[in-house]
Amino acid sequence: MRRSLAEVDEGELLRRIARRDRRAFDELYRRTSPWLTVRLRRRCADPDVVADVLQETYLAVWRSAGSQAHASAGGSALGWLWTIAAHRLVDAFRHRARQQRVPTVPTFETVAPAAEEEALAGGIDADLEQALLALPPELRQVLRAMVLDGLTTRETSLLLGMPEGTVKTRARRARIALRRALS
Amino acid sequence: MMRAVSAAEIAPTTHAWAVHAEKLVVRAGRHLAVNGLDLALDTGVHGLLGPNGAGKTTLMRALATVVKPAGGRLSVLGVDVTGRGDLRRMRRGLGYLPQHFGFYPRFTVREFVEYMAWLKEMPKSDIPGAVQRAIDRVGLTDRADSRMKTLSGGMLRRAGIAQAIVNDPRVLLLDEPTVGLDPEQRLDFRELLRDIGSDSCVLVSTHLVEDVAAACTDVVLVNAGRLVWQGTTAELAGRGGADAAGDSATERGYSALLRAHRGQVSA
Amino acid sequence: MTTHPTPALISRYAAGADGVDDATVWAVEAHLESCAACRALLTGAVDPGTRDLLDRVADGIAAGITAGPAPAPRRRLRRTGVAVRVLPWLAVAAGLVLAAVLFELTFHSLPSLVLLVAPVAPLLPVAAAWSRRTDPAWELLATVPRAGLWLLLRRTLAVLAAVVPILAVAGWWTGHSPALWLLPCLAFTAGSLALGGLVRVDRAALALVALWSGAVVIPSLAGDRLPAVLSAGSWPGWVAVTVVLVAVVAFRAADHRRLGAGQI
Repeated sequence: MRRSLAEVDEGELLRRIARRDRRAFDELYRRTSPWLTVRLRRRCADPDVVADVLQETYLAVWRSAGSQAHASAGGSALGWLWTIAAHRLVDAFRHRARQQRVPTVPTFETVAPAAEEEALAGGIDADLEQALLALPPELRQVLRAMVLDGLTTRETSLLLGMPEGTVKTRARRARIALRRALS
Repeated sequence: MMRAVSAAEIAPTTHAWAVHAEKLVVRAGRHLAVNGLDLALDTGVHGLLGPNGAGKTTLMRALATVVKPAGGRLSVLGVDVTGRGDLRRMRRGLGYLPQHFGFYPRFTVREFVEYMAWLKEMPKSDIPGAVQRAIDRVGLTDRADSRMKTLSGGMLRRAGIAQAIVNDPRVLLLDEPTVGLDPEQRLDFRELLRDIGSDSCVLVSTHLVEDVAAACTDVVLVNAGRLVWQGTTAELAGRGGADAAGDSATERGYSALLRAHRGQVSA
Repeated sequence: MTTHPTPALISRYAAGADGVDDATVWAVEAHLESCAACRALLTGAVDPGTRDLLDRVADGIAAGITAGPAPAPRRRLRRTGVAVRVLPWLAVAAGLVLAAVLFELTFHSLPSLVLLVAPVAPLLPVAAAWSRRTDPAWELLATVPRAGLWLLLRRTLAVLAAVVPILAVAGWWTGHSPALWLLPCLAFTAGSLALGGLVRVDRAALALVALWSGAVVIPSLAGDRLPAVLSAGSWPGWVAVTVVLVAVVAFRAADHRRLGAGQI
């Protein structure tokens, strides 16, 4: 008896997409595009850029699913999805920076953590969380782009609109500050 | 997923120039094709102009580490190419499209670019996404899975450009990349070059002065293996007097500078 | 990890900037990448504006899919570009060995042709595998990080894997001890790699073929006796030579970073 599509994991969806299964592709879109959109919108305030990046990302998924299903047999389909989207986002920033139409990166005020958020989602622990909050926002921004989003220093410099040397300096300062805070 | 950032990655860059040549001498056969060339290139799109036999291709090959220079000093991305520098690490940041681009006819475009990405030691899981991105950037999306022997000259050239940019190189060397491209494709290519030039060092060797004028921030003029002149395209256009040969300001500047150099050399 | 963000937190994250501090956002995003259940919650929590955006994008994607190429089927085996071009030379090597066997079996008086041919049998395909003429992408190969001893060894070992079984059959058929054909074969292969660090590998291989033919094969055929280097007791010498040459190749690995060895 065939499992319903809802029970299939994203890796298997990718394998089906590689076999030109349009329903699997639509299901992948349904499941992952909200997550991707929300994440992208926290890096780019321009909704048109976000829409373009989304469209290009999923078209790239459709076209190259065959190679990807083969290459990342153990890896995460979502990690791959994010990597494609992040690179397309950086490309959009690169293109528009040249034409002075720089999409803005939304900067949010640091809000004090609410009491009910103490037991956090897996991935970082309380010490790291405190240390991150203690960092100045510009250092945190660079760290997020490099560590969480997986960008290189060059890509980070394009995304955040600062020279690469500044990115590196801030990354080093963040590292030192974190090490000090965590020791 | 969280990525570990190595100390080496965020260490300050120690080299001042992406490409730095001092009195470079490179042989082509027995002939000294590059003979005492000084060159310093950084981020941006640099056009390499010069008459046939000026040593452009040999210079490109030396920068791409295909041939070892016979004399002088050459450092690419801070690595001394003339001495015993670590070529492997530096080559990961290189992209090269030779003038005579050899390919495997039975490979599809995608397979070829994937193979080149593997040869450039890109992380395996990054390769499919990077290959699709490179193919999209050069406009070969529709032919990504056609065999290379079925492609026209212009498409082959673009496939060559795709393999050169797949690893997001910091130094991109393109030898006659617009051969076979129709005017619209050349426009798209110039847009691509400008994008890439915003954060890498691109050196484009071309016969077409107009390509240079449109896409390049900087022009390097070589003749007889030596540097004749380096400056912006605006400055080049300003160098042509009324009596210089050429249909555009850039062409006039080019021929004026060349004539002056030949006069100096023969004097 | 078993701790999940609360649904309220996910809603606040989905809604945009307000009310979630950076570290929490970081943790939520790191979690969402691996937790399908929380992603499903997020899907339900997006605002109408985002939903409209997603619908518009979906239309654009649908248009792109119908207009563009379909996913390509993935080939099981990796295609090789060079192997196809080396095959003819492997055939030549096989033919040489076969001819040597036939000669030896027919003309018993001649010194063993199989032993004379064995050392240089793999060198023609090795030269081909690394030659500018057979590898159309040679110029590109010369600029990649992977160019070096490892790539060279891969191709060389592939050639050996094809040639050694042929030699094994030839050796068994003509009744020679394996040491006498295998060791010289390995020694010469290692020699062409070692010499290839100085000149190009294909030139080195061809030079060794010429050297062996001129200095050993022809004199022994003319003189009608097997040379001393191929006599029954010579195998320790070959072992020593092979070991030394392999050590040289390993030690001088950096020479192979440049395929052209400075020449065009």
